[in-house]
Amino acid sequence: MRDLFFAMMKEEWRLHATIFGNLSFALFPVLIGIITFMGSLALPFLCEIIPGPALSFTVHAQFVLLGVMVGGFGLLGQEVMNRRFGQASLLAYSSRNLPLSDRRIFTVFVVKDTVYYFVLWVLPFISGIVLAAPWSGITFSTIGTVSLTLTLSFLTGLAVVFFLSTMYTRSILLLAGIVAAGVLLATLLLLTGTVDPAYLFPPYALSRAFTPVLLLYSLAAIAVPFAIAILFMTTEFPGSEKHFPDRFTPLASRLSRLRSGPTVAKDLLDLRRSGGLVGQPIFSFGLPLALIWVTLVVLARVLPDTPLLINFAGVVGVIGATIYTWVTEFDAIAGYTFLPLGTADLIRSKLVTFLLLQPLTLVAVLAGAVASGDYGSLLPAAALALSISVYAASVMVWLTGLWPAVMVYDVRVLAASMLLIGPVVLGLIGAASINTLYAFGSAGLLFPAYLFIRGSYRRWEGWEKAFT
Amino acid sequence: MAAVISASQLSKYFGDVKAVDEVSLDVEEGSLFGLLGPNGSGKTTMIRVLTGQVKPTAGRASVLGIDVVAHPVKVRENIGIIPEQETPPSFLTAEEYLAFVGKVRKIAGVKEKADWWFEFLEFSEKRDVLCKDLSRGTRQKLMFAQAFLHHPPLALIDEPLINFDPVMQKTVKEYLKEYVRDGGTIFISTHILEIAEEICSDVAIIHHGRLVHTGPVTAILSRQRHLADFFLDAVGKGSHA
Repeated sequence: MRDLFFAMMKEEWRLHATIFGNLSFALFPVLIGIITFMGSLALPFLCEIIPGPALSFTVHAQFVLLGVMVGGFGLLGQEVMNRRFGQASLLAYSSRNLPLSDRRIFTVFVVKDTVYYFVLWVLPFISGIVLAAPWSGITFSTIGTVSLTLTLSFLTGLAVVFFLSTMYTRSILLLAGIVAAGVLLATLLLLTGTVDPAYLFPPYALSRAFTPVLLLYSLAAIAVPFAIAILFMTTEFPGSEKHFPDRFTPLASRLSRLRSGPTVAKDLLDLRRSGGLVGQPIFSFGLPLALIWVTLVVLARVLPDTPLLINFAGVVGVIGATIYTWVTEFDAIAGYTFLPLGTADLIRSKLVTFLLLQPLTLVAVLAGAVASGDYGSLLPAAALALSISVYAASVMVWLTGLWPAVMVYDVRVLAASMLLIGPVVLGLIGAASINTLYAFGSAGLLFPAYLFIRGSYRRWEGWEKAFT
Repeated sequence: MAAVISASQLSKYFGDVKAVDEVSLDVEEGSLFGLLGPNGSGKTTMIRVLTGQVKPTAGRASVLGIDVVAHPVKVRENIGIIPEQETPPSFLTAEEYLAFVGKVRKIAGVKEKADWWFEFLEFSEKRDVLCKDLSRGTRQKLMFAQAFLHHPPLALIDEPLINFDPVMQKTVKEYLKEYVRDGGTIFISTHILEIAEEICSDVAIIHHGRLVHTGPVTAILSRQRHLADFFLDAVGKGSHA
């Protein structure tokens, strides 16, 4: 177990480091630490605007989100094991030639993911807070508690996604039932006032009042879903030889006006049959946005002048851009290289598929409008979300080509994307906060987006690292 | 005969590793040319450079008169390729994959052509099965069919027989020989020397990225009993080395 764990850690490191070099990847956690350090320095000023509990809830929610994102990467769709293990981790194939069971490998895999991403993301974040402590006024006992509760928040996100994706591999109906039951129970508890809402989010409750009982409760909320995920995980899907009529030909004919028609038709079938059209919107889109919505609602209570729907639309735009990672991660680009297609053809095709999936961002904004009752801001919010999504995706294409899910860990890519996207999004949200109609000005982002995309065709043509 | 593949001082380095090192060769139209070499000798890299999948570090190469560096996509438009490792995409059926290749290559009457290949390689009953659920041998059949679907004048094929049973190997070998008789050219990379001896008209031997021999198979067999003996000598592992 120990040897397999260290070998998997080494494998995961090399997977990232071989793409953009050891140093560049090693600097990634350093960058996270620096950003947190700077954020922590601003904490005394932030606390004057936002009450401590709201700020604490926001940070804890972001760590759950981080866990969801890390756990959700690759663990999507019915081909969970095939894709996750087939492409990301060769050691996971060990059960075929070594006396190791799939369950044992999966257990080590989960532990490896937990430790690896803890070191990559969580530890630098906590280090940033610790280093800023002499100036931010945070006491070391608070740091100790927060370090623990943030770690538990991260693990909660991971555990929930592992649990839900395991249920999904067993049955979509089972997953739907569990999600529906969870939502119903939470709603009932909240409406009847039976329990303090904080108890639905154990690490946050623990951060408010540190007691041994709450600590055990938080640990159980992580251990139970993890244990169930490991117990019920399966790599054997019933009816493994599936038969399908030819759906490609009619779909490609319908898309024949598009230059990338055949590849777009293939992408759409890939997404549908891999379960990605269900799994991705739930785990990579709906769940993060639900968490962000709750955070924004909490913030809106303390900052009543903030237009909730506009803020939400800005975030929807950023998350909507990540749809580009969905359409690039389910097939190997090397599988196209022997066909008469260039990298530019593939980028074009993936972008068309991305655009075809953009109604999801509009649905999210509509859901926000329904939840907030702010129908007056619906159209500008929709324009804002869509423009930001297209712009942020174009930046992603420019910076990462066809490999966004991998190259995001390159510190230069991360820093550049934050600089190119962050100020633009904040500026537009700020402008729309003054007058919601200003959100329509976000359409101006389509021009730089066009330039980024055009530039990326030349930039990524012939990039060989992914093929070697 | 005109050269359909022409390489001059072609090199491809991955860091310090010289995968292909100053290789010059010409492959004549209508030949069944075998590129032989031990594991890791540079055969697959050579094919990837010649098909424009990776750029050479130095040297020049043209395929069907098209420069592989300047026009890699145009090279791939005009030839057929069976890569060594790549498999068809997981979530298309075998039939859909051939339809996809047909659309990308703009092949007319692709349905009839696909039907012929399903029949010829005896996997019609698997046409509606997702590629991820196909056996390795059936996937190899599909990769073979996609490479020849548009009946290209030249095909570069990397270890195309390795997953086939003896019956299918015989079928495919006969197809390749007939293909060449009809005017096509095959550039085959393999380390199965019996196959090369049986079907190839010319061979080149690559070792540590460098070409150590090139010439007709008949010339080799006039000096030694088997191609294997010559090959082992050429790579320094034979009894005469």
